[in-house]
This record gives sequence, structure tokens and C-alpha cells, in this order.
Amino acid sequence: MDSPKLTAATSGFVLAAAIAVLFNTALAWVKDASRPVTDFMTSLGGHHWTTHGLADLVLFIGLGFIFMNTRVAEKIDPNRLIGVLTVAVGIAGLGLVVWYAIF
Amino acid sequence: MNISNSDIILLAHAAFGIMGSMAALWVLVETLNARPENARRIRIAALVAAVSIAGAWICGGYFYIHYYPPEKALILKGPWPFAHNIFMETKEHLFFITGILAFLLPITTREKLDSNSAARKLVLSVAGMILITGLMVEGAGAVIDHGVKVALLKEVR
Repeated sequence: MDSPKLTAATSGFVLAAAIAVLFNTALAWVKDASRPVTDFMTSLGGHHWTTHGLADLVLFIGLGFIFMNTRVAEKIDPNRLIGVLTVAVGIAGLGLVVWYAIF
Repeated sequence: MNISNSDIILLAHAAFGIMGSMAALWVLVETLNARPENARRIRIAALVAAVSIAGAWICGGYFYIHYYPPEKALILKGPWPFAHNIFMETKEHLFFITGILAFLLPITTREKLDSNSAARKLVLSVAGMILITGLMVEGAGAVIDHGVKVALLKEVR
């Protein structure tokens, strides 16, 4: 018997991952365009890359727990959620390649 | 023979990355044929992927911060400056996407994959994206390495 539904934990962390990968690319753009932001991130974690990675992880885990507890993502159709994650990863990846190839 | 800590860390970074990508491929193949009997194996493979990518993250990060700056200077003075400007800049941020997906994978494999088509589709998508982005990152690493090599060759010729 097929039960095409995802648990609150899975759907919550899938939505969190989609947001975190887009945030990752947006932060890379901001860092590359703004020296003060890079310097501020360096002052926080010793190196901007370290702070960047930690920010991504905190966002992913934090949002994952919030979405899991509020059951927000559970209401989204699983196929749509998979589509959201796939498109987010595609945009985020392409966004990085195009940004660094052009600027 | 003189093998330095930086050599070991760099090679461990690449090895962990390949192990993570191969573990994601393992999850993908097992999930295509998901049954109650291989559920445990899928979860173990997902965990191997997450731990391997975490290892690649730590080793790569340590190398990037402590040992990469002189290599970056060499690349930028050499004939392949794009090895840093495009490939390293993209790689160091694309890797975070692979990492987030790798940490998501063990969560998704907790679903009953043999009886849940949406969960199966999700695991296939996440594992597939880890494999694709992981291999892109590995490829970028090879280009960066070659950027150093051609810069050094230019100096000795």
C-alpha cells in the first residue's frame, strides 16, 4: 500500500534545505560584492568561509526544527516539495557558476 | 620521500569527497530497488555519505584557510588565473550545497521507502544532486590543481 506522504521532520528539513542553499548563494554574492561584509564575517569566525559555512548550517538546522515543530512544510504536497528543492539547488548552483564566470 | 601534513589533508579532502559521492550513488541504486530488507543498508549508506562529506568539509576548510593562500598567489600569476577566479570561487561555495544535501540525506532515508513513492522520489533526487554537485566539486578541484601546476611549469621553463 503506497502512502505518498512525508513526515513532519522530513518535509521540514527539505524546505529548510531549499532555503539554506538559496541563502548560501545570496550570501556568496553579497560577500563578493561587499568588502565590509566579508571583513565582518572574517571578524566573526576567523575566516569569512568558516562563518559562511556555519551560517548555512545554523540556518538549515534552525529552520528544519522550526518547520518540523510547526508542521508548516508537512502541508505542502510532497511532489511540490521535491520540485522546490530541486529547482532551488539548480538556481543556487547555476547562480554561483554564472556569478563567478561574469564578475 | 617528503609527504607533508598539507599533502595528507588535501588528499584526504578529495578522498572524503569521492567517498561521499559514491555513498550517495549507493543510496540511489539501493533506493531504486527499495525493499524492507535493504532499508537498513540505505540508512547506513546515507550516514556514510553525510560523515564523508563532513570529513571533506573539515579537511578542505582547514587546507583552504591554512595552506591555499600561497597556491592562490601562484595561480593568479600563472597562465590559468581562472582556476581560482572561477573554479575555486565556485567550488568553495558550491560545496556548501553538497554539504547541506548530504546532511539532509540521512533524514530522508528514515521514511519507509518500500511503501512510500514520494519518499523514494525524494531520496533519489537528494542522492542524485549530491552525486552531481559532488562530482562538479571534484572536477573543479582538478582544474585548480592544474592551475597550480601550469603556474609552476611556467616558472621553471
